[in-house]
Amino acid sequence: MGLRRNDRFPGRLFIVEGIDGSGKSTQLDLLHKWLVSLGYLVVFSEWNSSPIVKSTTSRGKKRHSLTPMTFSLIHAADFASRTNAQIIPALEAGAIVLADRYAYTAFARDAVRGVSRDWLRHLYSFAVKPHIAFYFDVPLDESLRRILTGRPELKYYEAGLDLALSDDPYESFRLFQGKIHDEYDQIVREFNLVRIDATENLIRQQQVVREIVAPHLNGLMRDGNGGLQTALQEANLKGRYLSQGAQRGGATG
Amino acid sequence: MTQLRFYGDPPPGIADESLPGRLVVVEGTDGVGRSTQIALLKEWLEASGYAVLNTGLRRSSLAGRGIERAKLGHTLDPITLNLFYATDFCDRMEHVIIPGLRAGMVVLTDRYVFSIIARAVVRGVNQRWIEDVFGFALVPDIIFYLDIDVDHLLPRVLSSTGFDYWESGQDFLRGHDLFKNFIRYQSRLLPQFQRLAEKHDFNVIDARRGVLDIFADLQSGISDIVAGMMDEEPSIAVQEDDELLPMAEIPALPASNTPMK
Repeated sequence: MGLRRNDRFPGRLFIVEGIDGSGKSTQLDLLHKWLVSLGYLVVFSEWNSSPIVKSTTSRGKKRHSLTPMTFSLIHAADFASRTNAQIIPALEAGAIVLADRYAYTAFARDAVRGVSRDWLRHLYSFAVKPHIAFYFDVPLDESLRRILTGRPELKYYEAGLDLALSDDPYESFRLFQGKIHDEYDQIVREFNLVRIDATENLIRQQQVVREIVAPHLNGLMRDGNGGLQTALQEANLKGRYLSQGAQRGGATG
Repeated sequence: MTQLRFYGDPPPGIADESLPGRLVVVEGTDGVGRSTQIALLKEWLEASGYAVLNTGLRRSSLAGRGIERAKLGHTLDPITLNLFYATDFCDRMEHVIIPGLRAGMVVLTDRYVFSIIARAVVRGVNQRWIEDVFGFALVPDIIFYLDIDVDHLLPRVLSSTGFDYWESGQDFLRGHDLFKNFIRYQSRLLPQFQRLAEKHDFNVIDARRGVLDIFADLQSGISDIVAGMMDEEPSIAVQEDDELLPMAEIPALPASNTPMK
């Protein structure tokens, strides 16, 4: 069971996947800034961010009342909401959509929680197939070192404590991430994700990402007005009363 | 005993087991009189000595409020709404229905996954997709379907709550005429229920009749299902290697604890 075809959309969908500590968000952020600097219209979609679903997810997480099935379903609801309200309209308009984590995250995590792999693929069949899906491949030990240095506080579901793998949150996190890592190996092959060596230096990784993205940008819509910063300069204004959000959205991405 | 069976893959962590309770579903379209019948059934079953647990759509502690809130907005697409309903249903199944069955109760549910599926398909959601999503649902012991046509439904709706926005399909049908949309919507919805009734072997009850006639049919259907519940031995899990102490080996109470006369 595949994802929905993407060839009817003029826009482009690029997504990143990888275990926690793979550096995927950093790389997506750098890609975002580059695309904005080239004048492309970019929409960013974040995992678990739908305004209509978010409060239910946090309710379940706070009370530890989510089971593997409700965890899976509520994340699918969030994903569906973002797909229909954010991702598809932007792709129809010809913009670039960037997503930090995609359906593959659910395929990996929920399967580790024991949810049927076939059922998950069918559940997410409404998702648009990305034009490029990057997988930031990092050895488990390296990602654990990056995340666990300084012993941060690990959240219940993030550490996989609901799976009762271990009472110790750190040990549980290690075991949980290990299983997700194994699951990703299979997903990368099944869906042909583009593997990026996430142990390389950051700049080199970003160069590789940009080289892969560049050929997909032909004919995409660009913002002709040069953004808010240019407009401010032309008007000789500082934009003192603009909110931080508006400034970010305007020029720097 | 009810052997746990599911339409598709069972949810993780649910053992293949037999539970002493019974799962009774009452399905039917909006305004057909389900809640009246459920109220009567609960009273009758309790008076007959059965412990009864009620549940229905949007009553989960996880997602009930979220659905209500989402329906007030204007950015809700059918896929998201149905996944919200699936979350609500799953939360109740795992936290209410199955524990109730395990405790030996008669679990009476006002609507089940079939109402959700029928409403989704009418709104253009892919039928195979929605039925597959609900594959994790427990197969009930009996599914009653209160069968009615639009002509008989109209007076009931008018004499109770009136035409509701969602139950008239106002969210996806054209125009502002609530009455016309109610007719159009229910005329599409009822055939979906019929299709599901055949597919899942519903116990179809003619709901065009009076309250007590319908109730009598429900009673006789449920009597067959709960028959024998009283005689079944409670299934208390005793580990084989964890034998109970023979009575003789339980130490006698010390004399000082004997109540004074």
